[in-house]
Amino acid sequence: MTIAAPTTAKPPRAGAVLESDASSWMSDPYAYFGMSNTRVHSVPRRDAEAVQLAAMNILLEKRRAEIPVLAKFADAQDIRRIASLDDMAPLLFEHNVYKTYPVSLLAKQRYDQLTQWLGRLTTHDVSGVDVSKCKSIDEWLMTLQAATPLDVATSSGTSGTMSFFPKSKRDYTTSVVGFRVQLAQKFGAEPTHGDLHDKLHMLAPSYRDGHTSSGRFPEYFKKVFCLGDEDYLHVAFPHKISSDLMWLAARLRAAAAKGDVTRVDVPEVLLARRAELERMQKDAPGQQSAFIARVAKELTGKRVFAMGTSPMFYDVARRGLAEGARNKFGPGSILMGGGGHKGMVMPEGWQNDCLEFFGLERMLMGYGMTEMNSFSITCEHGHYHLLPWVTLFILDLDTGKPKPRSGTQTGRAGFFDMTHDGTWGGILTGDQITVDWDTPCPCGRTSVAIKPTIQRVSELQGGDDKISCAATPAAQAEALDYLTSFEL
Amino acid sequence: MSTKNISYAVIRGKVIDTDLVEFGGRGGDLAFQAPDPHKLIGQLPLGNPSKLDDLYQLSFEEILDYLEELGKLLDFQKNAYMQEACELSYLTSPKTPRLVRGAYVSMPAMFERERIKRWCELSVGIRYLEGWVETPINDSIVSIRAYGSRALHIVAGNGPMLGALTLLRGAVTRSDTIIKVPSNDPFTTAAIARTMADFAPDHPVTKHLTVAYWRGGDEKFEQKLYQPHNIEKIMAWGGMASVKHVTKYIQPGLELISLDPKRSASVVGEGALQTDALLRETASRIACDVGVGNQTACSSCRVVYVMSGTDKAGLEKISRLGKLVYEGIMKLPGDLSTKPKRYDPQLKANVDALRMNDDWYEVVGGQDGEGAVIVSHTAEAVEFAEALADRTVNLIPVDTLDEVLAAVDSYTQTVGIFPDDLMPVLRHKMALHGGQRFVSLGYAFTGPGLVGPQDGIEPLRRMCKWIVTERPTSKLKPIWERAEGETALVA
Repeated sequence: MTIAAPTTAKPPRAGAVLESDASSWMSDPYAYFGMSNTRVHSVPRRDAEAVQLAAMNILLEKRRAEIPVLAKFADAQDIRRIASLDDMAPLLFEHNVYKTYPVSLLAKQRYDQLTQWLGRLTTHDVSGVDVSKCKSIDEWLMTLQAATPLDVATSSGTSGTMSFFPKSKRDYTTSVVGFRVQLAQKFGAEPTHGDLHDKLHMLAPSYRDGHTSSGRFPEYFKKVFCLGDEDYLHVAFPHKISSDLMWLAARLRAAAAKGDVTRVDVPEVLLARRAELERMQKDAPGQQSAFIARVAKELTGKRVFAMGTSPMFYDVARRGLAEGARNKFGPGSILMGGGGHKGMVMPEGWQNDCLEFFGLERMLMGYGMTEMNSFSITCEHGHYHLLPWVTLFILDLDTGKPKPRSGTQTGRAGFFDMTHDGTWGGILTGDQITVDWDTPCPCGRTSVAIKPTIQRVSELQGGDDKISCAATPAAQAEALDYLTSFEL
Repeated sequence: MSTKNISYAVIRGKVIDTDLVEFGGRGGDLAFQAPDPHKLIGQLPLGNPSKLDDLYQLSFEEILDYLEELGKLLDFQKNAYMQEACELSYLTSPKTPRLVRGAYVSMPAMFERERIKRWCELSVGIRYLEGWVETPINDSIVSIRAYGSRALHIVAGNGPMLGALTLLRGAVTRSDTIIKVPSNDPFTTAAIARTMADFAPDHPVTKHLTVAYWRGGDEKFEQKLYQPHNIEKIMAWGGMASVKHVTKYIQPGLELISLDPKRSASVVGEGALQTDALLRETASRIACDVGVGNQTACSSCRVVYVMSGTDKAGLEKISRLGKLVYEGIMKLPGDLSTKPKRYDPQLKANVDALRMNDDWYEVVGGQDGEGAVIVSHTAEAVEFAEALADRTVNLIPVDTLDEVLAAVDSYTQTVGIFPDDLMPVLRHKMALHGGQRFVSLGYAFTGPGLVGPQDGIEPLRRMCKWIVTERPTSKLKPIWERAEGETALVA
């Protein structure tokens, strides 16, 4: 076992105790730490890594039996047990694996074959689910949602395909409980009764529902933050964003970029919905303005938790300020942006505009992804702190090999999140990150601190001024950006 | 200051290596030095267009004399500038050293006299480049001549020969040529220009070539240079960003000739799969169009539509073809294809993801960054088809010829076809959809060369200004002698 040199005199836990800790962390990590943010972020790294390794071996054995793709992948590499954290690196899944189905299955509405495909990636049995009556992606995902513990999350890329990540309802709940623990509590203090049990206002400047993780979060926010009270949930667009429309939009974009929209291989029933798509797009600014006005009026002085992507907040703030609206959220309110820039460059001073509009002193940022339950949130020093049950791998961009867990390292991020219920917890991201393994963060948290300089690996490539006559998707992405910036 | 890694500026026969500033070096790229472009900018444009006249004092044959001589001087064994540039290009090129060196060694062949003549004759007609060509028409005599222009070329860096090609195009059209070299090939063209400055510093062809590096997107610089009083045409190669970026300077008097980023595909008909011998030949042909030059060119094949059918027998056939293609790529001679310099990690991620899910795809090779063949099991390309590179090709089984049309769009340059009897039908249908060059599969890189159209346009003709003179014959009655109602004014 390669574990960092002991920093305290206390011997590392071992054997059955370790396995029992691992089981608790996997099944209900926040309960294990008494729902305390301070305790979650105070585990010595050495101890956390010992539990992580134990959990990886437990999960590897269990998941091999449940997830056929993992079994095949591990067999091909002849990995049955691992002796160090880095031994797990070859078993992290490329995030692309969640879209390795032929696109025609969607166009031809072969939800039976898609279900079969999904079944090879998830721990839950989907084979018995009757999807024969499904006529759309939405119907398919709702059918799976009703019949299994899954709540499949979608995301769409610029090429017109959609990935399906077999998240479970428990996975979503783990994420959202994590938000509540990490956002509501001040690090260094024990949680107050209100932190744990108050009904809290949640503001999400997006859709009420959908199948992307950002579309689906409000449902879980309502349970965990609003304690089931819809009046405490504030969304900009009161409807569900249809996956079929998102897919159609992505396909049309991709086709337009190729200069031939007539070739879009989309069923007539979907093409007929173009008018609906356009109407929703047209209604959006009005709904957003109404949302801004409502929020400014109703939430002043209240303790509010606002979560969404940075561009969403900036859009609301910019509009709000232009319309002369201002908020003054109450003490203990939190504004957290993050992710989903999708190649968008945020204008200078965008954070100030957000703070001014929402009447807050500080804005937090969250780092996470659909493919991971555990989100990392910035501390007072701007570092994203990993939860102790998440193992970070920093991989060399070229070789894919893990870099040492010491010194300052930059590379492609991979994660193993032991709390994953719906699928395998090992994921390779498209992000380049930097971590200083040796210097503890001055904020006092012992958890691994990721520097704020997170970049898409794809954006790093291409360089300054390299010109090639061979077309690349990066070249086309530029043309597509304007459409992806607004998540339809 | 160290004299290493210099991208020399060569302005009309004058070599400049002062006021060096550093460029590049991002993400592990080679950092190099080039003369501060902001200090050069005043010297780059020709200024008075009358200065082009010296090129018109030369005959076409005299221009060829110069180019032929230059070709000999570019002999890689003897030319220290070229050797130095080649060494440095190993570090910047997307190609491996062996392939870069191969391109340098081959370069003199581009300057072969008869080769240039055949090309110019086909593309423009030498008599139009040499003088006025008279044609009687509609009671008039029309004289047409192709004049050169003051042109700026934003050259691609995925092949060391592109600077030489540009220089040749400029010389034969009697143009004033400014070449902006790319950061992935900042050395080659300057080495040619230094050779020119040494052997004929005052020759008009030398005097009308300028080579320099500036960072594409340096707006302060570009705003000044990209003006109709400085240049008349901009020829911009590939890179959507670079082409789109240039469009903002386009205005009346400044024309864009865009050689957009392109991709290429191939089509294999049923007839190519009938016997084992044919299957092997087909595989060799695909391997050549994929592997030669390590798939860095726009003409490199990236997807192959195979009319094997999608039933069990068809899938077995295409699976076998896939394995043979992989073997074929691995067997290509080392001066034409090598293990890629750096296998794109994003691509590897995509390929590995498919490997894990073999219901719909079969992946042959690709474990070691050597290249891979992805065989689809349905009639569709992989989701990341546009990113296929580094000797990675996707074979797609189809049942009908119509499905093959999916292979082409307006980004399609070359389509390799086999057997040849499919050519007449396919080239017509595909030309309507955007296909621009049709070759017999396996010949994407060994044909006549860039002798005519490229990317759906004729670059050499486009580089010219087409000037017309009209003289009446005695049959044409002057307007002032005509009665009312006698004259039809038509365009």
